[in-house]
Amino acid sequence: MLSTKMLERMVYAFLAVIVAIVFQQIYTSMTEQGIASGGPYNNGAAYPRAIAIALAVLVICQVFVDRFNTEPEKVAEEQFDTTDLRRPILLLVLFAIYLGLLKTLGYHLTTTPMVLGIMLICGARNILKMLLAALIMSFVLAYIFENFLNVVLPGGIFSLNLPW
Amino acid sequence: MLFESLALGFELFLTPTAIGLTLVGVLIGLIVGALPGLGPLMGIILLLPVAISLPPVAAMGFLIAIFVGGSCGGSISAILLRIPGTPLAAATLFDGYPMAQNGRASDAIGIAITASAIGGLIGGVVLIVGSPFLARFASDFAPPEYAVLAITGLFAIAVISGDSLIKGLIAGCFGLLLATIGTDEFSTGYRFTFGTHHMLNGFHIVAVVVGLFAISEMAYQIMGRDLLKTPNVKIARPGFGSILLTLRHWKNLVRSSGIGVFFGALPGAGGVISSFTSYAIAKAWAKPDEKYGEGAEGGVVATEAANNATVGGTLVPSLALGIPGDASSAMLLGALLILGFVPGPILFEQQPEMVGGIFLVYMTANVFLLIAGILVTPVFVYVLRIPKFYLIPVVLLLCSIGTFALQASVFDLMVMLGFGLVGILFRAANYPLSPIVIGIILGPILENNLRRALLISREGYWIFLDRPVSAVLVCINISLIIGAIWFGLRKRKKRSTMPEGEDV
Repeated sequence: MLSTKMLERMVYAFLAVIVAIVFQQIYTSMTEQGIASGGPYNNGAAYPRAIAIALAVLVICQVFVDRFNTEPEKVAEEQFDTTDLRRPILLLVLFAIYLGLLKTLGYHLTTTPMVLGIMLICGARNILKMLLAALIMSFVLAYIFENFLNVVLPGGIFSLNLPW
Repeated sequence: MLFESLALGFELFLTPTAIGLTLVGVLIGLIVGALPGLGPLMGIILLLPVAISLPPVAAMGFLIAIFVGGSCGGSISAILLRIPGTPLAAATLFDGYPMAQNGRASDAIGIAITASAIGGLIGGVVLIVGSPFLARFASDFAPPEYAVLAITGLFAIAVISGDSLIKGLIAGCFGLLLATIGTDEFSTGYRFTFGTHHMLNGFHIVAVVVGLFAISEMAYQIMGRDLLKTPNVKIARPGFGSILLTLRHWKNLVRSSGIGVFFGALPGAGGVISSFTSYAIAKAWAKPDEKYGEGAEGGVVATEAANNATVGGTLVPSLALGIPGDASSAMLLGALLILGFVPGPILFEQQPEMVGGIFLVYMTANVFLLIAGILVTPVFVYVLRIPKFYLIPVVLLLCSIGTFALQASVFDLMVMLGFGLVGILFRAANYPLSPIVIGIILGPILENNLRRALLISREGYWIFLDRPVSAVLVCINISLIIGAIWFGLRKRKKRSTMPEGEDV
């Protein structure tokens, strides 16, 4: 189980990394470019620095608010059931693999298996029905985007682009 | 000025593409509104990549029509399934669902659509009359006023969008930081680009927003247990007689529309607050025999008129000042910017035809909502029967093709996925996502005007208090923060003194 507290700590860590990146960039890249000092016109670092400081102060305030939260029984109730997380994790992994292969294999070779995979994750098992739905979805959307909106979808190493 | 812009707008609007896409937008809006978990914001996000390849007025017509249709569509599932398609329709189920249980589902949907359309038209009148006045007033604004106004917009949304003011402000600051990525307009230096050419113009807003909202929403939807279930929905066929049923409640209709417009024009307030407020007021003013909560027509009229009038209201500050009222209007502003138009007084002065075109598409979208909504409702009922395991891959496909289509860039797809993960984390930890979008939209306005104000100032930051309008806005900002802290502390105190098991 993931508690709300744990999730909040993950957000704090993420935001701390963001603030750290802002300062790292100000003291390296922006200083080298000469945009980390001077007046409002030349100083491109002043504004992000101010926002990063505000963000850091707000995160510290939120940490204090959580620290002195007097509602322990409510916090304990707000749990995130990790058994529920299997499907979203699988979905995101599948989607990441799809996006990774899109450029190499092209839209038509990757999309139908991705749609099939999502349906399987959802619990569908009627392969014929799923395959038909996956083919219709991927080809109809490709037709709309390529034919009406002149979008050239990735053809991949095989240059698979349909002449509609 | 008003008639001139409307006349010029007619020329741009009276094309088969613009009119046809406004109709299509309303229908798509009704569908995304009716499907639980989607809603007008998601509709606008998913179809923004399609819209930006269209002529400007047709593109804005398409997106505004999705906003209009989506704000009403949620009522269909609220009435038939007791699940509001969008939070905007949450108050509609108080009386809409009991009406359906009493065998009056068709009447309830007909009343919801009619009240939405009439509320939207009233909101449109306020938009057409009010926004040019506001734009004229704002034409005297200089960088200090715009900088403080941007902060006001961000504060207002952060204060209202979630349970915690600090979390709202954190999300807003995160959005402001995201907006700084890319080439600095003043010094032309590179900020946070990490030496890659992909980031010279920052992250594309569509990739960020699709990731934050759509990808995270799909990850949440897939956790549901009813993915293969086909919802049991009975066919409803509302008729045009429901227009007369609605007009019987004309006082309620006008009052609720007024409430909707008022809350819409306040940054951050939005349709949910306006629909609950107008429901509460309608209930308080109703006669005892109307039986609110047991299927009163007035309850449906109040909530639906208010939430669609909010759309017109929220477009007033968005168009006239360039300050979005909520996340959906922020996306509309994003679309305007991508199409090459700068919202605010300058748009009214230099491109009145675009303003007129937007007014016309908004009004037409509401007329189409009334006609098409009543005629095509049985089709939406069939859409509600589609199991989620078909919808999730369609939405993900739309997300990926749409995002890729922006710049034919796989990098944008990676950005989308990355922000999908951020969206999931933020939602899981109860951080609101809307302030991030508002921060991204308001970021450049805030930074550019802040730096310009400091450039023209001889006394540094005192320039913000030297000028009357910006001084008033500074006071409003301080009051907003003090008010939010006071309410937060009061709520906490109330909660701690309440007996266990009760909620505030």
